[in-house]
Amino acid sequence: MALFSVFQTTFLLASLSLRTYQSEVWSEPLPWAPESLKVSINSTRQCLHLQWSVHNLAYHQELKMVFQIEISRIKTSNVIWVEDYSTTVKWNQVLHWSWESKLPLECAKHFLRMRSAVDDAKTPEQRFWSNWSSWEEVDGKKGGDRRPLFVFPKDKLVEEGSNVTICYVSRSQQNNISCYLEGVRMQGEQLGPNVSMFNLNHVAFIRETGTNIYCKVDQGDGIKGIVLFVSKVLEEPKDFSCETQDLMTLNCTWDPGRDTGLLKQLSQSYTLFESFSGKKTLCKHKSWCSWQVAPESQETYNFTLTAENYLRKRSVYLLFNLTHRVHPKAPFNVLFKNVSATNATMTWKVHTIGNYYTLLCQVDLYGEGKVTQHNISVKVDGEHLFGGLEPDTQYMAQVRCANANRFWKWSEWTCQNFTTAEAAPSEAPDVWRNVKSVQGDCVVTLFWKPLSKLQANGKILFYNIVIENLDRSSISKLLSIPAPANGTEVILDQCLYQIHVTANNSVGTSPASVIIVSGDPGNTEVEEERVKGTEDGFSLSWKPQPRNVTGYVVDWCDHPRDPLCDLQWKNLGPNTTSTVVSSGAFRPGVRYNFRIYGISTESVPYLLEKKTGYSQELAPSDNPQVVMSNLTSHSFTLSWKDYSTESQPSFIQGYHVYLKSKAGQCHSGWEKAVLSDDAVCCKYKIDNPKQKTFVVENLQPESFYEFLVTPYTSVGEGPHGAFTKVTTPDEYSPILIRIILPMVFCILLLMIICYLKSQWMKEKCYPDIPDPYKSSVLSLIKSKENPRLTIMNIKDCVPDSIEVLNKQEGTRKSLTETESTKPTYLYLLPTETSYSGPGPCICFENFTYNQAASDSASCGHVPVPPKAPPSQLGLLTSPENLPKSLEKNYMNSLGEIPAGETSLNYVSQLASPTSGDKSSLPTNPPEPALCSEYKMQMAIPLGLASPPSSGSSSLSSITLLEEGEHYH
Amino acid sequence: MLACLCTVLWHLPAVPALNRTGDPGPGPSIQKTYDLTRYLEHQLRSLAGTYLNYLGPPFNEPDFNPPRLGAETLPRATVNLDVWRSLNDKLRLTQNYEAYSHLLCYLRGLNRQAATAELRRSLAHFCTSLQGLLGSIAGVMAALGYPLPQPLPGTEPTWAPGPAHSDFLQKMDDFWLLKELQTWLWRSAKDFNRLKKKMQPPAAAVTLHLEAHGF
Repeated sequence: MALFSVFQTTFLLASLSLRTYQSEVWSEPLPWAPESLKVSINSTRQCLHLQWSVHNLAYHQELKMVFQIEISRIKTSNVIWVEDYSTTVKWNQVLHWSWESKLPLECAKHFLRMRSAVDDAKTPEQRFWSNWSSWEEVDGKKGGDRRPLFVFPKDKLVEEGSNVTICYVSRSQQNNISCYLEGVRMQGEQLGPNVSMFNLNHVAFIRETGTNIYCKVDQGDGIKGIVLFVSKVLEEPKDFSCETQDLMTLNCTWDPGRDTGLLKQLSQSYTLFESFSGKKTLCKHKSWCSWQVAPESQETYNFTLTAENYLRKRSVYLLFNLTHRVHPKAPFNVLFKNVSATNATMTWKVHTIGNYYTLLCQVDLYGEGKVTQHNISVKVDGEHLFGGLEPDTQYMAQVRCANANRFWKWSEWTCQNFTTAEAAPSEAPDVWRNVKSVQGDCVVTLFWKPLSKLQANGKILFYNIVIENLDRSSISKLLSIPAPANGTEVILDQCLYQIHVTANNSVGTSPASVIIVSGDPGNTEVEEERVKGTEDGFSLSWKPQPRNVTGYVVDWCDHPRDPLCDLQWKNLGPNTTSTVVSSGAFRPGVRYNFRIYGISTESVPYLLEKKTGYSQELAPSDNPQVVMSNLTSHSFTLSWKDYSTESQPSFIQGYHVYLKSKAGQCHSGWEKAVLSDDAVCCKYKIDNPKQKTFVVENLQPESFYEFLVTPYTSVGEGPHGAFTKVTTPDEYSPILIRIILPMVFCILLLMIICYLKSQWMKEKCYPDIPDPYKSSVLSLIKSKENPRLTIMNIKDCVPDSIEVLNKQEGTRKSLTETESTKPTYLYLLPTETSYSGPGPCICFENFTYNQAASDSASCGHVPVPPKAPPSQLGLLTSPENLPKSLEKNYMNSLGEIPAGETSLNYVSQLASPTSGDKSSLPTNPPEPALCSEYKMQMAIPLGLASPPSSGSSSLSSITLLEEGEHYH
Repeated sequence: MLACLCTVLWHLPAVPALNRTGDPGPGPSIQKTYDLTRYLEHQLRSLAGTYLNYLGPPFNEPDFNPPRLGAETLPRATVNLDVWRSLNDKLRLTQNYEAYSHLLCYLRGLNRQAATAELRRSLAHFCTSLQGLLGSIAGVMAALGYPLPQPLPGTEPTWAPGPAHSDFLQKMDDFWLLKELQTWLWRSAKDFNRLKKKMQPPAAAVTLHLEAHGF
C-alpha cells in the first residue's frame, strides 16, 4: 500500500511537469481566448466596464472558464490590479466585468488586458492560460477640453466615514496649484507631471450643501472645484405599522430614523410594495404613506417598505390581516339627556366600519375626584345611564371605541361635560355661639360653618334663623340671612332661647341645627390651665362629666389679637375627653385661649374648662416701661404696672432687674451677671410675674446707677436694651431743704407783713424830717429875733468850678470795651446833637502811657456846651433817682480825684475805664472820638454851668454834677 | 442785470414744471423707487451673508472673487462710465426693468432650492420686495410715458442648469447672482438719483440761473 502511494505521487508530479512544459513550449493559441474586448467608463461611479465574448464555442456548449484581468495606471508596466474572474461561458454570450477605481478615472490613463483558461472538468487537458490580449487604453478625460485646470471626481456623494480620492489635472506644468478643503489647504501626492491626488479619509458631514473642495492657480484667477456631498448612513425604518379606520384606506407609518443630512433632491425615497397584489407606490412623505384597499376583499397584506438613496437601500416587511388592524375613528355627537340630581343618560354615535362589525366603547366618568369606567358594545349608536351622581356637580364624560371582534387600538377620546341638578341640602349647618352680657341683655353671636359641596347639594342662597323662647313656648323671631354670611348677632333678654338654623338653596331647606342659649353666661369662675402647643397643634384633655352630655365643643380664636377674632369650634362626641386642635392660622408667640363646653341633653352648652397656651413660645421682644419713683440717697422704687403679661409672646415667669454701678458690689439677694457686651452688673430675680414693683435699696448717696427691668420666660428673657440712668441725691440735701424752706417762708412772710405795715413802720422807725419852711418855728424867729434871717436856698449857691472828663477812644480798643468804658467820662460833655463844632479845648498829652495813640490820634476837642443841660441842676435835688450802677461807677472812677482843686481838675490816665464797669450804660453808642485816649481837663467858665432851661440833658451830665462829690 | 431778469421772465412760460399746476409729476415716484433700492440694498446685505454661509467656504470668504464663468446669462450691471452717462432716461429705465425681471426669476429658482425653511422665508421676503421695486420702476416708466419692455416668448430665463453643470459651478452662479444683484442695486440708486435730479422742479433751475448772474 505504501509502495502504491509513492508511485502515485511520482506519477502526478511527472504529469504536472509535463503540462508546464507544454504551456511554455506550445505557441498555438487557445481556441477559447477572449475576443472583441470593449472597455467603457462610468465616471459617476468611477467604474470600468469590460465586455468581451468567447468564440469557437459549439452551439449549446457551456464551458467553465477563468479570465485573468490586469489593470495598469498611467503606463502598462504599472499594474495596479489583477483579478481572476470565473464564469460559465455559453455559445455566443457577451461577458461583462466591472471594476471600481478609487482614483477618479479622469485623473490618469488606465490600461487593461486579459487572458483566459478553461476550468472545466470536461476538458481537463485544456487547463492552461491563453495569450494576453492587447492592452486596452482608457482615458477618462475629454480630449477636446482645453481648459487649464480640472478637479475630479465631479460632484460626488459618499457616506460619512468613507475614504475619497480627489485629483486635479493641470494643462500647464508651470503653474503652481493649491487645493483646499473647506478653505484649508490640502497636501497631495504627485501622480504625474501635472496630476496630483489627495486622499481624504473618514470624511465627515459638514452641511447639507456639501463640502467644498477647490483648487486654484496661484498666479491667476483660475479656480475649479467640486462639491462632496457627505450623507449620514441611511437607517432602516423603525416601527413600521399599518392600520385602517374605515377598511377603505390603509395608513402606514414608520420612523425614518435620523436624517441623512442631504438636500431634498439627494435624500432617500420610500417605496411601499404589496407582494400579494404586486402593487407598488412611491411615498410622498418620509414617515407615512396611504394605501388604497382594493375593492375586492383582500384580507391579508404583505408590505415591503424600502428606503433608498444613491448609496444604500433598506427594507422592512409587514404581514397582517386587514380586519385585525382596525383603528376606529373617535365617537361623535356625544349628548346628555334626562339629567337629574343623581342620574344622567349619555348618548353618542360611532363611524360605521362595516355591516358586521361591533365596537366596544369605553366610557369614563370623572367627577368629585373619582373616575368610573364602563364598557358598552355598540353597533351604531351608544347609550349609557350614569346613576348615583352627586347633585349640583360637574362631571366630565369621555368615550372611545375599538373593534370588539379583534382589538387593535382604541380610538381617540371624545369628551363632554355635564352638571347634575340641585337638591335640598342634606346636612344641618354646624352652629356655635358666643354669649356676652351687655347692659342686662344677652348678646348672642351665632356662627355657622358653610356646608360642604356634598352637603349643600347646590348653591346656598340664605340661612333661616328661628329664635324660640322656651319659657313662653312661642316663636319670637325669624331671621333670614343671605349667603355667604357665616354668622349674625342677636340680642336676647335673660330668658332661655332655642335657636334653629337652616340652610336653604333653590330646591329646599336643610335639616335644622338647634342650639339653646340661656341668659346665664355660665360658669366663668373656671380656672385657666396652661397647655403646651406644638407645631401640630394643641393637645387638650378634660375631665369626663358625671352628668349626661350629648357632646363637647371646644372653641378658640384663630386670631386672638384681632377684634374679629375669627372664632373657631370643634364638635366632639360624648365619650371624648381629649382632642388635638390644629389650625393653619396658629402662629408662634401668640397666646391662644381654648374653652371647653359640655352640651347637656337639653342642648345647653356649659363651660367646663379653659386652657391657654402657645403653639411655640418666643422670647419677649419688649421690656416693660418702668417708672422710677421715691428716689432717695439710698434707694428708689421701680414700677411697671402697665405691662400686660397676657399679650406677651410667652408665659412670663418673672422679671430680672439689672443694676449697674461704679462700685460693682452686689448686695444680698443680687447676683453678679455679665451682659452680652461683657459689662458686669448685679441682677435681681423676681419670681412672681404679678409683682410689678421693686425697691432698689442699699444705694450710695451721690452715686450713678443704671437699671433695666426685663421679663424672663422659659425660652429666654427680654432684650438687654438701653439702661435707665439715675443718680442718687446727697444725703444732707433733704435735711437742708427741710430747714431752709421754712426759713425762706418765714422771711417772706415777714417781708409781706412789713410791706403791708410800711406806714406804721415808717412812723415808728424813721419819721419824716420836718420842713423848716413849714415849721412854725420860722415864723417865730422872723417875728421875734431877726427879720433878715432866712433859710438858705440851694438855688442861691453859685458854684465856682465844674469838672468835665472825657475819654478818647483808642483804635485798638474793642467795641465792647469802648461801649463800657465810655460813659464814665463822655457824659460829662454835652450830647452829640448839641455839638456844633470844635470848641475851646485844653489837651494834656501823656506820652507815658500810649505814645502810639497820641501819634495817630489828633488832639480831641471837647466841645464846650453853650449852656449846661437844663435838668442838670434840677435833678441834683433827687439823687436817689439815679441808677445805682451808674452812680457807683461814676463814684468809683472819680474816687481818686484829689480834693481841694477848685478851678481845674486833672484826672490821670490811671483812672482809665477798665475798672469793670462794662455794664454801665450799654445803650450809648460808641461815638467817634475826637480826642485821643488821653483824658482831658478843661476849664469851663462858671457861667456855663448855669441851670439849663430844658430837660433834654443826658444822664451822665446829671451824674457829673452830683452834689457832695465835686463841689467844694 | 435787468436784461437778465427780463430774459428769465421771458423764458419762464417755457419751463414745463411751472406750467403744471396739479400734477406732481414722476418726481415722487422716482424718489420712492430710489428709497426702495436703498432699502433692498440693506436687506440684501443680510440675506447674502446668510446665504453665502449656507454655501460654505470659499463663497463666504470676504476676499473671494472668482471669475464670472457660468454666470453669463445674468444681466451685467457694470458698464463704462461714459456709456452710462450717455444713456437716455428711457434706456436707463428699460435696462433696470429688464435686469430686475431676470434677477427676480433667478432668485425664485434659488428659493426653490434652499434647504432650510428660514432661508426660504428670507428669500421669499426679498423676492416680494424685489417685485415691488420692479413695479415701482414700471410706475416711473408709465409716468414718463415709456412702454414696458415685452419679454420675448420662450426667452423666459430659467434656473435649470444642464447636466454638465456641476454643483460647485452652481454655487458659483449663486454667488454671482447675489453679487450682481448687489451691483445692480448700487447702479439703480445712482440711476434714480440722476433721474431725480433731472426731474426736480425748474424753479430751482431759475434760482441757480439768477445766482449765476451775480444775484
